[in-house]
Amino acid sequence: MSVSFRNPLEFFSVFKTTTRERFDWVTPLAVLALSAIGVAFIYSAQLSTPQNNWITQLVWLAAGGMVYLAVSLIDYRFWLSFSHWFYLACIGALALVLLPGIGTERFGAQRWLDFGFFAFQPSEPVKAAVLLVTAGILVRSQVGTVNQSLGTLGKLALAAGVPIFLILLQPDLKSAIVLPPVVFSMLYVSNLSNRFFTVALGAFLLLVSVVAWDTHNYRKFIHDNNLDYSKDRGKFEAHSWLPLHDYQRNRIISFIDPFEIDPTGVGWNQSQSMISVGSGGLTGKGWTQGTQAQLGYLPRAVAHNDFIFSVIAEEKGFLGSLTVLGLFGIIMFNGIRIAGLARDRFGTLIAIGVTVLFAVHVFVNIAMTIGLVPITGIPLPFISYGGSFVLSCCLLQGLVQSVYRFRKDFT
Amino acid sequence: MSKGFASNYRIVLLGVGVLACFGCVGLRLLDLHVLDRDRLVGAVDRARRQIIVETARRGDILDTRGDTLATSRSLIVLGVDPQALRKEDESKWPQLAKLLNMPLADLERVFNAKSRPAAADDKADDDRLIRWAKLSESVEESTYDQITKLEVKGVYGNRTFRRAYPHNALAAHIIGYVNKEGEAAAGVESFADFYLRGQDGWRESEKDGLRRELAQFRNREVDATGGYKVVLSIDSAIQHIVEQEIEEIVKKFNPAKVSVIVSEPSSGFILALANYPTYNLNEYNTLKKDEMGSMRNLAITDVLDPGSTFKIVSASGALNEGMVTPATKFDCTLESMDYKGKPRRFMRDDHKFDHPLAVSEIISHSSNVGAAQLGMLLGEDGVYRYARAFGFGEKSGFPFGGEVSGFLNTPDKWSGVDITRIPAGYSISATPMQIHYAMATIASGGVLMRPQVIRQVQDASGEVIYNFTGSVRRHVITTRTAEQMARMLQGVASPEGTAPMAAIPNFEVAGKTGTAQKLINGHYSEHNHVGSFVGFFPASRPRVVISVIVDDAKVPGGRIAYGATVAAPSFKRIGEQLIQYLDIKPVLDPGRNLLVMDGGRK
Repeated sequence: MSVSFRNPLEFFSVFKTTTRERFDWVTPLAVLALSAIGVAFIYSAQLSTPQNNWITQLVWLAAGGMVYLAVSLIDYRFWLSFSHWFYLACIGALALVLLPGIGTERFGAQRWLDFGFFAFQPSEPVKAAVLLVTAGILVRSQVGTVNQSLGTLGKLALAAGVPIFLILLQPDLKSAIVLPPVVFSMLYVSNLSNRFFTVALGAFLLLVSVVAWDTHNYRKFIHDNNLDYSKDRGKFEAHSWLPLHDYQRNRIISFIDPFEIDPTGVGWNQSQSMISVGSGGLTGKGWTQGTQAQLGYLPRAVAHNDFIFSVIAEEKGFLGSLTVLGLFGIIMFNGIRIAGLARDRFGTLIAIGVTVLFAVHVFVNIAMTIGLVPITGIPLPFISYGGSFVLSCCLLQGLVQSVYRFRKDFT
Repeated sequence: MSKGFASNYRIVLLGVGVLACFGCVGLRLLDLHVLDRDRLVGAVDRARRQIIVETARRGDILDTRGDTLATSRSLIVLGVDPQALRKEDESKWPQLAKLLNMPLADLERVFNAKSRPAAADDKADDDRLIRWAKLSESVEESTYDQITKLEVKGVYGNRTFRRAYPHNALAAHIIGYVNKEGEAAAGVESFADFYLRGQDGWRESEKDGLRRELAQFRNREVDATGGYKVVLSIDSAIQHIVEQEIEEIVKKFNPAKVSVIVSEPSSGFILALANYPTYNLNEYNTLKKDEMGSMRNLAITDVLDPGSTFKIVSASGALNEGMVTPATKFDCTLESMDYKGKPRRFMRDDHKFDHPLAVSEIISHSSNVGAAQLGMLLGEDGVYRYARAFGFGEKSGFPFGGEVSGFLNTPDKWSGVDITRIPAGYSISATPMQIHYAMATIASGGVLMRPQVIRQVQDASGEVIYNFTGSVRRHVITTRTAEQMARMLQGVASPEGTAPMAAIPNFEVAGKTGTAQKLINGHYSEHNHVGSFVGFFPASRPRVVISVIVDDAKVPGGRIAYGATVAAPSFKRIGEQLIQYLDIKPVLDPGRNLLVMDGGRK
């Protein structure tokens, strides 16, 4: 299970033998299809604006392709001994972002490291780093009943907790909430006792009810004091010990009852998105013909990234959105298949972690555009516009490819 | 596979979980795309369709000679889209500020406010962008042309119409005003709104997410049609004469209220109507709450005891019934007289008359005792019938402004002394308009006319759409009675009458003074009077009826504000100016006039 460092060229053994067996074509083809769809609809979403982000997206995808190739060529077991350094580098970057003068602030959040030619979001590679470190910790430990695994759980809590904390400081809630499902699913697959998950589920439900109670109080506070949801944002924060912002509470309320809050304010994006999806019908209005996106009803600031799925759904209809959903489904189930094929626990955990991470992104993003969950701003992998996100998606899928390529020794 | 560490069933379960999530999404997509589609498509259509209204220009209000009394000026409401501003236009900002008469700093503040600030601790929500900020409410067309030539991108205007009243307070109670919301709120503006407002144009179109019109989707268009012009019977020159005279009265006597009406007896059209207090039509919105009363057209909304001017009713009645002739004499020294078997006390006359008075003298000397005897002769029912016939106790039909009908009891409700009071103009109340038109009935040969102020409705090119003509309410007395009355009323302005100061030599001024004690807290006041003079000339072929009614005038020395003192001189001054303005020919001494005219021609 250990990797020999005596002959680094071993990692690049792909150059020695190339067989069909050694490369998984399913995921790359699906990713390629999704990326093409993404570029086409970023173009469409921005047709009536002066922006041309589809060109930039192509550049990112090309760079992402190289990352994918490089990561998949490296034996994933290399990360068993190297992931700590990667992890530490990412934590360092996260800390740097928060330093005034170094991190760049946009839209009120400090999320970017500006390199001049491109701004980089350290929260993206952190997802991969946490995943790898978690897998590394889990393979090195004995996991069983809760009591036996307390030490491991402590380490995991620290490994995931520190970056989550740093990300929340930015603040970037959406990047932080995708990590716990990944860690939990890896723990689940590692055969941690059911008791733990029962308790965790209980704790989660408790958290949900606390948030619900807090939101209820917020609504009451607004009504009792005759306040306005959008104008008086921030007034309730002082009254609550929950570290939630009022704009986040607004989103929860607008999700549950869109008419409670001014429909053109907080709920506007979501209701316009649902109208987009619905007006697409079975086959859609045709590429670049979607009125919601073209006429700016779907706000132009989000149409090409967080709400790209609505554009696809409007212009390509039910068939188009099913195609996208199907392609993601292929990637998910190929990931689970590869998890089963992996030669060791590390490989399985990586494949499971990556698959769950993607599933969370896809599910939350699409569910948000069709009104199933509140708006969170989680992008759609390979389709939404965004450089750091494309690179991190390619890196993660590269890891899965590596797990597949090194599932056994090919001689 | 040796997988002691990762149980297969858990991986499968995880897969099932992911599948379930995707299944939910798929079902929801089916729901939105296929099942709920119609509702959502409807929302798209509703959001995009819009009807853009093109405001019609409101028609002008003109006076009888075509002078503009109310007009609509086309103005531009200028605004800016701060998002659309370009850096290279910044050098033009000072020029723009100068055109707008606006300090550059103010302009820059508007231009640089790109967004409405969100709450300070709101980290993720974007600020709302400002897409339109007002720069000026009223830019003239010519200035707007210059602004357009500057070509500052993002600065644009919307054309609106603003109502303007060139003569400010002139004929305010007749013209009325259009409020800032564009609703006609008073006067002719409100009454003739149907003609004035025109027909707004509209186009059905679509708009984008920022509510801007998408001209390519414009599919129906209807042009606006301007409103009609309304021509009044009001003559702004006469109106001006009247309002100046009111100013004089106010300056001299500081009265509570003044109403002056000038009308044309043959048609009933009003040539001028003015009240004190009044207001400026262009500044109607600056009135304080306690000044709101100045918007009322007192000539129809306020009642007063008509006093002696009412004596024409019982005199006309008795003459018309053939009960008396102008020469019939009455003993006016009596203190009381039996009526229906009971003695009735008379109101005292100011003067003691040493001889019995003829009917003509009762009028010219304004004897209360004489008027009461004429009333008794006519009987309670007769007095009531003639009072109603002359228009008392009913609305005159003045078309707008909240006219009241005054107060006139039916005879069965009269008290024992009312038969001595009512013929002298007490125990009843009337509006200045009613008093004026009762006198106008005599001037028009016994016909009561409807007070009218609108002569014509014209379209934009001046083509007549509708012509209003004089409207007869009823025949009250015979022409003969009217002529007799007119002759007797000339006596009022004679040296022996109550108002010699109303006389205009050679113009046969006929009229009646009125001095009524004001009813204050249920008692007739010794100090507060309504003084009036209502009359017409020339008596043999009347051209104008003029009434001057002054409420609670303060005469220097605390003397009684007789109609002869406070109203008759004004009647004369107005009359003299009208003679010149309307070119009214004198009737007496025709020979001399012919000589003069012939001399002028030859």
